[in-house]
Amino acid sequence: MEPRFRLGVDIGGTFTDVVLLDEGSGGVEVLKVPTTPRAPAAAVTQGLRTLAARLAIDPAAIRYFVHGTTLAVNTLIERSGSAVGLLVTSGMEDILEIRRLRLPDPQNFFTEPPAPLVPREAVRGIDERLGPTGAVERPLDLAQVETRAGELAAAGCRALAVCFLHAYASDVHEAASKQRLAERFPGLFVCSSSEVWPQRREYERALLTVINAHVGERMRGYFHALERDVRRLGVPSAILSTKSNGGVMTARTAGERPVETLFSGPASGVIGAHWVASQAGYPNVITFDMGGTSADVSVVTDRPIYSTEAQAGDFPILMPSIDIKSVGAGGGSVAWVDRAGILKVGPHSAGSEPGPACYARGGAEPTVTDAYVALGWLNPERFAGGGVSIAPALARDALARLGDRLGMGVEEAAWAITEVATANMYARFTPFLTSRGVNAEEYAIVAYGGAGPTHACLLARELGLPRVIVPRVPGALCALGCLVADLRADFVRVLGARCDRLEPAALERAFLDLEAEAAAWLHREGLAVAAHRFERSADMRYVGQSFELTTPLPARCGDTLTPVLEAFYRVYHDVYGYVDRDAPVEMVDLRLQAVGVTPKPHVAAASADDRRAAPAGPTGRRRLYWGGGTVEAAVYRRAALRPGDRLAGPAVIEQDDTTTIVPAGFGARVDPRWNVILEAIPR
Amino acid sequence: MTSRRTSPIMLEVLRNRFQAIADEMASLVLRAGHTVFVKETSDFGAALVSTDGEVVCAPMNTGVALMVGVPCDVAIRRSLALGMDEGDVFISNDVWNTGGMATHLPDIYVWKPVFHEGRVVCYTWAFVHSSDVGGVVPGSIAPSSHEIYQEGLRIPVSKLFRRGALNDELLAIIRANCRIPEQNWGDIKAMVSGLSRAEQRVAALIGRYGVETVRSGIADVLDYAEEQAREEFARVPDGTYVFWDYLEGDSGGGRAIRLKVAMTVERGGVTLDFADTDPQTRQSYNLPSHSRRGHWQFVFSLVGFLRSVRAGIAYNSGLARPVAVEVPRGSVLNPEPGVAVGNRSATQIRLVDVVMGALAQACPAIVPAAGAGQGSIFLLRVPDFETGQSRVSVIQPLCGGSGGRPTKDGIDGIDFSIGFLRNIPVEAIEADMPVRIRRYRLRPDSGGAGRYRGGAGLEIEMEVLAPEATATSRAMDRYRFRPWGRLGGRPGALGYTLLNPGTRRERDVGKIDVLHLAFGDVLRIGTPGGGGYGDPLARDTAAVLGDVRRGVVSRASAARDYGVVITEDLRVDAAATDARRAALRGERRPLLDFDFGPEREAHERLWSDALVTALNRRLEPYPPRMRTLLRERVCALVDEDAASGRAVREADLARLFDRVLGEMGHAGWKVAAPGER
Repeated sequence: MEPRFRLGVDIGGTFTDVVLLDEGSGGVEVLKVPTTPRAPAAAVTQGLRTLAARLAIDPAAIRYFVHGTTLAVNTLIERSGSAVGLLVTSGMEDILEIRRLRLPDPQNFFTEPPAPLVPREAVRGIDERLGPTGAVERPLDLAQVETRAGELAAAGCRALAVCFLHAYASDVHEAASKQRLAERFPGLFVCSSSEVWPQRREYERALLTVINAHVGERMRGYFHALERDVRRLGVPSAILSTKSNGGVMTARTAGERPVETLFSGPASGVIGAHWVASQAGYPNVITFDMGGTSADVSVVTDRPIYSTEAQAGDFPILMPSIDIKSVGAGGGSVAWVDRAGILKVGPHSAGSEPGPACYARGGAEPTVTDAYVALGWLNPERFAGGGVSIAPALARDALARLGDRLGMGVEEAAWAITEVATANMYARFTPFLTSRGVNAEEYAIVAYGGAGPTHACLLARELGLPRVIVPRVPGALCALGCLVADLRADFVRVLGARCDRLEPAALERAFLDLEAEAAAWLHREGLAVAAHRFERSADMRYVGQSFELTTPLPARCGDTLTPVLEAFYRVYHDVYGYVDRDAPVEMVDLRLQAVGVTPKPHVAAASADDRRAAPAGPTGRRRLYWGGGTVEAAVYRRAALRPGDRLAGPAVIEQDDTTTIVPAGFGARVDPRWNVILEAIPR
Repeated sequence: MTSRRTSPIMLEVLRNRFQAIADEMASLVLRAGHTVFVKETSDFGAALVSTDGEVVCAPMNTGVALMVGVPCDVAIRRSLALGMDEGDVFISNDVWNTGGMATHLPDIYVWKPVFHEGRVVCYTWAFVHSSDVGGVVPGSIAPSSHEIYQEGLRIPVSKLFRRGALNDELLAIIRANCRIPEQNWGDIKAMVSGLSRAEQRVAALIGRYGVETVRSGIADVLDYAEEQAREEFARVPDGTYVFWDYLEGDSGGGRAIRLKVAMTVERGGVTLDFADTDPQTRQSYNLPSHSRRGHWQFVFSLVGFLRSVRAGIAYNSGLARPVAVEVPRGSVLNPEPGVAVGNRSATQIRLVDVVMGALAQACPAIVPAAGAGQGSIFLLRVPDFETGQSRVSVIQPLCGGSGGRPTKDGIDGIDFSIGFLRNIPVEAIEADMPVRIRRYRLRPDSGGAGRYRGGAGLEIEMEVLAPEATATSRAMDRYRFRPWGRLGGRPGALGYTLLNPGTRRERDVGKIDVLHLAFGDVLRIGTPGGGGYGDPLARDTAAVLGDVRRGVVSRASAARDYGVVITEDLRVDAAATDARRAALRGERRPLLDFDFGPEREAHERLWSDALVTALNRRLEPYPPRMRTLLRERVCALVDEDAASGRAVREADLARLFDRVLGEMGHAGWKVAAPGER
């Protein structure tokens, strides 16, 4: 059979991860190359060339190519994208200045709201008006649109965003404006709020439109360059980009709607974790990605859950993205003692420069990673596969200084750091999990990122979880997630109707309209999909409430709305612990997610050949500090472990991209797909 | 370090755990909340409370951030007196019998004891500001109310659940006495669900760490916060700082109410003495603090100060322990039982300004100039012909800019005293109500001029598309006394309300009490701007130009107030600016520490500090209710004298008192003479 490969690429701030999956054998190759921030496409082609050469494969055999990039989110956070001009309904020119008012830290006299992404001088009012149903109350003057845009272009704007009041209900004025602007200003990136995300709430919608415009020019250029370079190498497949919603879209679409890629990196990590866990037989997981600066969790209950309240830098993002909670508690988080003698960890991070004290790059403050080193959890000889040299003495020096202030020895202080870091995570994650109706005890953790598998059992113990899954490639799970993501697009329509006054047929018609829109999108993307489906949901609440719960709905409306209401009651009960069957319920927005199911790679379970009569033994033993004292732990090499192997804590499993700690009271086994599963041994 | 029983590590672990419990509780209340104030203004709270009645933790990023210093001890004592069992949930909004916890009736508090082996470990606690608890007006709050019985249902400390079983009879009474029974019950359910979740979390914590660890952890996190607060207060120069400001008090027909504090800072302790604050009023501006130590409404500015100078400071009632509050009985800040208190939010916002003014003198490099000082909720009622009832909705919260700060400009559109407020999308308002919002913008030239400009107010213009509508907006203020500027900074602009501006029917309606509107009417409201900080002539010319470009400062104001000459094509004319600034420096009066603006100066030409203080002192011996009457009458006589050109001095008061007491005697009043009480 002709060999076929899938290529997944994740462009991070420091490294670009490239994962090549052999569809025939299920084998996975991982490569990390330094990211090239000025020309990010270059790192991708470089990585591809290297891997192709190393494995002697023809790029023409790459039949599936997905990549994710942090370029959009970094451009936004650095605010280094195009200067944007914004056209709004006259009378609303201060829309970005007023925001939603609420102060970021209302009790701090020095607090500062985020500066608007578009300076006030680059916002112009247009004399036009729609009513809330989309009816024209004051006609649009296209000549004025052209004049105002001309002023903005003359002032140096490279992109134009249009957001008129009530454009979610009708795009009549926005579409006409966009068309005229595209004709008159062909060199500028132009987008309108009704095409970006037609939801009610003018500030948030304008913001999405402005962000899309701000990152648009750069992203379109980037996708163009990537497509060109990859074609030159002979890759025949379509080029896909990951999205914040955990799906993929074509690079061409991504160039027009780059705002949808903002959280694509972490989102594809969750997709990868979900895929790994469901293959291992665990559909409900909490994903736990712990890197240098933060620890991120997300929830998968049969499927990932979505948020419409994500925050990118300073800005709220209304579009659905995979719901991820981030805490400033990573390996680089700094431990310190406040004036009252209390130990604190983070939120400040030593980052990668200077990094933890043990990196010997000038960092003097103890970090979580230094604590791991002093506790004997990390092997200084083999950290990052030997790629980063570790100076345990520097870690101990930093911890000794900290310990002096706490009246503790080095190990004791190091252990305390892990306890406080875990408490920080617990405090932020628990309300997050609760408000999503999660009972943590029924979930397994999927641990990835450089420190995830090291810290996972501490978090599991705190949350009362019995099980941790460590995937085969914990350091490249985002790139792996790229390879298993489906085509996904979200559509929204404002409904705003009480269920007791809504005809089921009217609801069905509204969803069918959305489905027609979604089908057209799938068709335009032009990719072969194994199947497609439309997932319906609605934002629902009791009449009088102002927060909605997104409620998944059946594929068809029947003759009554009873199943719809029952679905709402279930979700409501999960989150709030009670329901009221008498109170009226309303549907605010209808949502549809179009899913084009991509063919999944087949990763065969281990065969008899992969198993051995005798399990792999430890490569050595070392003393770990744990709790109040030291324990002797067996040390294993991950590469030597094979499906069916079992071991008992205390143990350490080392691999190039991470170290897994198996505490006493936990056992570990390798499942048929090479995942390491840690389980609390029932007492 | 104090005699802490918890290790520094466990303390941080427990503090995080407690915080998670409060945050979780708050998110349940917020998201399941039904009433307008919960939803739109986050006017609710959640906390764990110690057995001594102190708030152990409260959410920092949800709700009103007003839980530090809520005294729960009296409510606990009263609930213990009812007998306390596992599964009980208590409820109260009683401003006279909860010792400063509830301070107006719409604030409904619920709490639940957390038991371990038969003993209470702590309480889970929550409140919401209900949009209606009955009374004379929808929303229960009218400035003109003059007794508590007009303000709705009073619920003494009672059991809402007995051992987990709902007290149906009490619930029926509550529901029968308010205009929005469904919404209130929705909010109460949301709170109870939060309390129960928190109770489970505390139980799990006890399971994990043991009851003794949790008990001592509660005591120690409070001590820890107190310790940090004392450290920071100890850095404030010792001394007594005096300041006063006015609540206009004229909604409901009253006079200006003076709030005056003498703040004494001594070795890490703070005393707030309000001896010279005006007596209780007939209108509903009274704030029933019961003069409690560290009372939440008095420590707000101080907690803000602590959080500003010390990032990550512990957040609980320990912060309020170093703050003594001394308010004589019968004061507007510690009224006698029975008076109306509904509009005390307006009083509280001014109280924030007053303590800030005192603190500003002690810490000029930290404390901003006055913010807009208004947190009014603008409501509209329209007939709903479908149901035959009426519909009420918030149009917008009406707040204004914050004061200029020692190192940067004030914030446009919102102020620290109500910084938790969120506005409402124009699209949501128009979908919900028959109005058109024609304009919603920052109000030009409203921020006080200063080296650091005061934040701009807001301007909203609404057109009525219903056949008739009624607008109300309680707690409007700063229509007469400006937000003060600091250290040469100029005061912010006053608020205004215009009906049908720019037409022949234009009318200046001032503060809105109850305003009837017809189809096609246009109402334009401008909110106050914050005061400026520092000399406006020292403001960076580029910053002035930026303000002009952004439209928050006009070219005329740039020239007049900042001495910056900006050309028609929006450039700074450097030479003209230098000349203009030099000229302005020559002709202006000396820079003021506090610039209160001409209106207050005019007011104080008659109502001097000496006169008001003497008047209040002379009233002190009379019973509080009589003080109010005496004061109203004496003030009217002072006004009459002043109007006829006779200057009134302290010495004239004896004569005026005699006259008023004489009148009262004739009317058959038994008048107690001073000293006979």
